[in-house]
Amino acid sequence: MNEDVHVRAERLILENHVEHISEHEREWLDRHLEACTDCDRVAGATEEAMRSLCAVSVPFPPSLASRAQLRVYLRIEELQRRGRHGWALWVSCGLSWGLGIASARYVWRGFEWAGDQIGIPNVVWQMGFALWWALPALVAAGILLIEKLREGWSETQ
Amino acid sequence: MGATTCFFSGVVSDDTQALARALRRRDPEVLDRLIEQYQYRLFRYLLYISGDRETAEDFFQETWVRVLDRGHQYDSRAKFDTWLFAIARHLVIDSQRRKKPQSFDALTDLDQKSPIDLVAVNSPSALDLITSREVELSIQERLGRLPAIYREVLVLRFQEDMALDEIATVVGAPVPTVKSRLYRGLQTLRELLRGGNP
Repeated sequence: MNEDVHVRAERLILENHVEHISEHEREWLDRHLEACTDCDRVAGATEEAMRSLCAVSVPFPPSLASRAQLRVYLRIEELQRRGRHGWALWVSCGLSWGLGIASARYVWRGFEWAGDQIGIPNVVWQMGFALWWALPALVAAGILLIEKLREGWSETQ
Repeated sequence: MGATTCFFSGVVSDDTQALARALRRRDPEVLDRLIEQYQYRLFRYLLYISGDRETAEDFFQETWVRVLDRGHQYDSRAKFDTWLFAIARHLVIDSQRRKKPQSFDALTDLDQKSPIDLVAVNSPSALDLITSREVELSIQERLGRLPAIYREVLVLRFQEDMALDEIATVVGAPVPTVKSRLYRGLQTLRELLRGGNP
């Protein structure tokens, strides 16, 4: 018997389990297995391997599901807490920004007056004003950055 | 209870859109039910790819936390189990990369064989089960000698009964690669069970 025939038979044996083979190929394989004991043994061993694989049972740890459920609950709580915290942060940021806009004219005059009184160059009190204006946004960005870093760190643990 | 179960199984199997919505709003009840429904399958898969019970237990819990965190990414056109298994797999790979940053992980290294510990520490040992248990242990020991990438696709195909394209989604490889891993895996397992070295 040609060696290619056995190679084809083995390929079809595997394909028959992994995918599906055509009716024509199945008939050919059945005929070949009847005539070739070596290939028939391979088919039997493959069948046995499949059966063994499906027969293996994995004992499930009894409390694992409830432990996972508890962890999920804790995580939900943590996310809700973080959500509330984030919301409060944005609200306070918005409020401080609104107040900043509303009071900008007066604060500018205040800085100007203080600059005159102390006798510092204009650029210095103007920078001070800019810093006062940007301070809430910088604080909020800092808090968010720290939280992001903390989150990333805990994910890698 | 019956009504709840029926409603839930409807949500999970038929209405993936409802499931996606529930995951987006982090519905704890739906997550509870999902954990119960997929506990065995997920744990078995994790055990096969990680090779260790304790590690698999950690990954099991971590997978559900990640499902919660990334629930908004679930695409309702996909099957939930495919998405779940892909998440679990990524967790295992990430962890292996962190442990051995200089080398490939077990799931991408074709030659790496990671022994598998399928036996429960407190498993019952009734007398009438001893013989079949011994046979099973022998099979498990041989399965453990299969490289992880083959073990993984064999489990997904023959234990989870997944289609080839679903396996390809889980393992992030093209279908022809999945097929060739299945062929190689089946051949190797056959040799191992015959008592030879693959």
